[in-house]
Amino acid sequence: MTLPSERTLPRLFLILLLAVLALAGWQWRDGAPLSANLMELVPGTAPDALELRAEQRMQEPLNREMLVLVGHKDRQQAVAMAQKLGEQWQASGLFEKVQWTLQADLPALRTQLLQGRLAMLSATDRQQLIEHPDAFIQQRVQALFDPFTGFSLVPSQDDWLGLTGRIQNSQPQHGSVQLDIGSGALVADADGKSWVLLRARTTGNAFDMNLPLQVADLLKHSREEAAQSDVQLLAASGLLYAAAGQQQATREMTWVGGGATVGILLLLLLAFRRWRVLLAFVPVLVGMLFGAVACVALFGHMHVMTLVLGSSLIGVAVDYPLHYLSKSWSLKPWHSWPALRLTLPGLTLSLITSCIGYLALAWTPFPALTQIAVFSAAGLLGAYLSAVCLLPALLKGADLRPAQWPLRVSEYLLDRREALLRIARTPVLLALLIAFCVGGLLQLDSKNDIRQWVGAPQQLTDEAQTIARITGYQPTSQFFLVRAANQQALLERQTALSERLDQLVNLDKLQGYLSLNQLVSQPHEQHKVREALNKLPQFWQPLLDVGVPLEALKTELATLQALPVEDIDSALAGPLAEPWRTLWLGPTEDGVAAMVSLQGLNNPALLRVQARDLPGVELVDRLGELNNVFAQTQISAAELKLASCVLIVLVLILPFGLGGALRIVSLPLLAALCSLASLGWLGQPLTLFSLFGLLLVTAISVDYAILMREQVGGAAVSLLGTLLAALTTWLSFGLLAVSSTPAVSNFGLSVSLGLAFSFLLAPWAGRQVHATSVAESAA
Amino acid sequence: MIFCLRRSPVGAGLSDRRTAAMVVNDNAGHLTPRGALRLFASKLAPAVLCVLLSIPGLANAFDLQQLSDQLAKPDVIHGNFIQEKHLRALPQPLTSKGAFVLAKNHGLLWLLKTPLQQDYRITAKGIARRDANGWQTLPGKSAGAEQNRLFLAVLQGDSSGLQRDFELSLSGEAQNWKLTLTPRSLLLKQVFNQINITGGELVHSIELLETQGDSTLLRMQDSTSGQPLSDAEQHDFAE
Repeated sequence: MTLPSERTLPRLFLILLLAVLALAGWQWRDGAPLSANLMELVPGTAPDALELRAEQRMQEPLNREMLVLVGHKDRQQAVAMAQKLGEQWQASGLFEKVQWTLQADLPALRTQLLQGRLAMLSATDRQQLIEHPDAFIQQRVQALFDPFTGFSLVPSQDDWLGLTGRIQNSQPQHGSVQLDIGSGALVADADGKSWVLLRARTTGNAFDMNLPLQVADLLKHSREEAAQSDVQLLAASGLLYAAAGQQQATREMTWVGGGATVGILLLLLLAFRRWRVLLAFVPVLVGMLFGAVACVALFGHMHVMTLVLGSSLIGVAVDYPLHYLSKSWSLKPWHSWPALRLTLPGLTLSLITSCIGYLALAWTPFPALTQIAVFSAAGLLGAYLSAVCLLPALLKGADLRPAQWPLRVSEYLLDRREALLRIARTPVLLALLIAFCVGGLLQLDSKNDIRQWVGAPQQLTDEAQTIARITGYQPTSQFFLVRAANQQALLERQTALSERLDQLVNLDKLQGYLSLNQLVSQPHEQHKVREALNKLPQFWQPLLDVGVPLEALKTELATLQALPVEDIDSALAGPLAEPWRTLWLGPTEDGVAAMVSLQGLNNPALLRVQARDLPGVELVDRLGELNNVFAQTQISAAELKLASCVLIVLVLILPFGLGGALRIVSLPLLAALCSLASLGWLGQPLTLFSLFGLLLVTAISVDYAILMREQVGGAAVSLLGTLLAALTTWLSFGLLAVSSTPAVSNFGLSVSLGLAFSFLLAPWAGRQVHATSVAESAA
Repeated sequence: MIFCLRRSPVGAGLSDRRTAAMVVNDNAGHLTPRGALRLFASKLAPAVLCVLLSIPGLANAFDLQQLSDQLAKPDVIHGNFIQEKHLRALPQPLTSKGAFVLAKNHGLLWLLKTPLQQDYRITAKGIARRDANGWQTLPGKSAGAEQNRLFLAVLQGDSSGLQRDFELSLSGEAQNWKLTLTPRSLLLKQVFNQINITGGELVHSIELLETQGDSTLLRMQDSTSGQPLSDAEQHDFAE
């Protein structure tokens, strides 16, 4: 019964398996080569290195910092708790810096203010100095006697004209956060509580595997501790999203992977009633191993998202052994090697069509899907090889006596189908099906958003929004990138942009923005201020009247005249410049560049308009771009799907002829159409991910059509094989539908629907036994 | 394969950046000295001044409590002030004079008369300055709700603010006392060395010693607590 080749095959395969295992061991020598950075999975849309650098600059703090509001009715208690937590966190070793008080370096501030008296003066103050020097002097006299506004960081005798005071007062005010002068804490009052700001910067970033969980854990403990003193904590950080994502992934992996495994094993036991049949799981494990090794070999690492989606491979990989195990209903007695020989062509075809389907995913611009495609294709190959080379040897001598009830179920199903066909002929049914499809498709909405990739817990987003409300900071992910040949031109361009943004701010369309031209004015503006100062002696009599010595004023004027023109670099050096520092990108290949960051935006479309006719100004809107890519990819995915079908037809022409191949391929396409329609009827949106799911289902369900068409062992046995295969696949993919990540759940749902329709339609694959399978049966 | 999935963050870090996770990001800069500047300018002077005009409840020592009670007694105080700004560079101080009205349930009127005329008002609504069109709340200062709450809390004998920010030491007797305030926080220490307040039944003088060497001396003269608010004064507070 056993051919010589069947004796050597298991050994050859074991050698290959050992080699792959060794390679895996080498790949994992420095720990798991896993990556969790989601941005690696979305298409790289920023073609330009500068834009990429700007984006990273804007994102970096998001992944390293945590902002916490410590709230209590009594401000002092809130401050005390913030201090306590600050000390604990600092001691935890997780953070590079924990800050709850303002550590202002006043001498450095004074120096910067004095140095920047010409360059940092606001446009309004500049205008007054130039156009109404008399009013300018009058206001200064008032300020000298005003007990309420007269406080300035720089003593009067160093700044008789009060320029530093004006700079102080014209600094953009942000949010509703106030300095608690006693403690130095930053406090916002809202909802009847005082909220103290606590900021922490971690040593690593959100994509470290352990750090987010440790930070989330620490926060949880701090929350509990605070709650005992009736203090409430609100926190926002990219790290927390990362931690939630990790926990969720772990949970879902357990559910999907574990659920599918348990379900499939139970199914195997119930159907075949032999413990040895559990060996059918060997190809699954080998497939996972091959997939992981191939992924790491090709990409250097494997993303956790690949693992989550890839775990659904369990259900597909187990189909290979099922193909010949299910022959035990018709082959009596059943022997492993002959059963394999009988089903080998079908298995091989199935491997090729599935791989075509999976590899079609690799041509989408999503690195995520490329990884999944490689993982799955390699995994399927591994599963196939072990099912073909190893498993029959392991199952040799197994005496399979499968339960008879599954066969009865499939016979019953076939009877029902016959009954149905007696009532309505196939064309009638087809017409009904098409009506169903048209009805559903009309209701189908398309929706694509990067946020579908993230199943962020409501509590986290709520807290972040509360923090935004309390503090008044509402940063947006969009920003402007401004390029120019030199600093002067850059500031000019930023000033032009500022004028437009100011209008938006006045219209309440934008809360605020940060731009370098707020910090330092253009060189020619600085010259104008200098000239205006020269004329000031004609107007400064009121200052002399109150007792300011003439000598002092003259000396000051001379000092001011001698101040050098400030450029961006020198303006950014002082402590006042901290918020602007990240905005400066410095010299580039063709000049200089800087960013303009935005706050509290309600209409992104307005921003694009602002930049339209400003040379060198460009809006960077990564989210918007990604969403566009999603929409475009949807179309290319549909094209890929058709292309993969053409390829599958070509492969199938050989064994089944053109007519048969077309018929076999049209069934999965019809199933996909029905799934789309069902999404419409169910009120579910069509997303890129549901489309990818259908792309996959086409490949898988071609198997069912092949299986049904080949009819090895009769219609009922073939239907049973199809049913088992569909059930196992559904067990792994269908479970993805429970994922709380919308993308994954969408994927699961569409695959589940697709599988159901594929199964229902499979019997229409035709019944004529053709030459190839006859030859096989004879073999 | 499952074993390696234990630590797998899906969605790591890609938070919904349109909402507020990015709060963290932008705060980075805004919480720094810039904020402090405005706050110093808008808050410190009035807070200190007003707080001191009626020493708040100083609960921890009997003497301070007594002083606090004593100062909290009058409903309305009328008086004149002389403010001397001693600047290191000037041989003569910058001197200004005027009158003030402190009303327990309303706030403070500060009427500068020489060398220039200017009226100020501090109430729950903020600091206002009078111009030709009536009282104008100073821009940016209305947002400083905290200082006003502090001030009003103080007026009503609620003590939470001052002792937290300053070290207090009292000497003398009820009719002739001296209170010294030393800042506690590093931030305040960079601005003030000390604040000295003297008085008897009412406050007589307040002296602010700045770290830079300048000082301000406020002398309250002819303070009386017998007179109720005039109609004009009531009108000023009401407006």
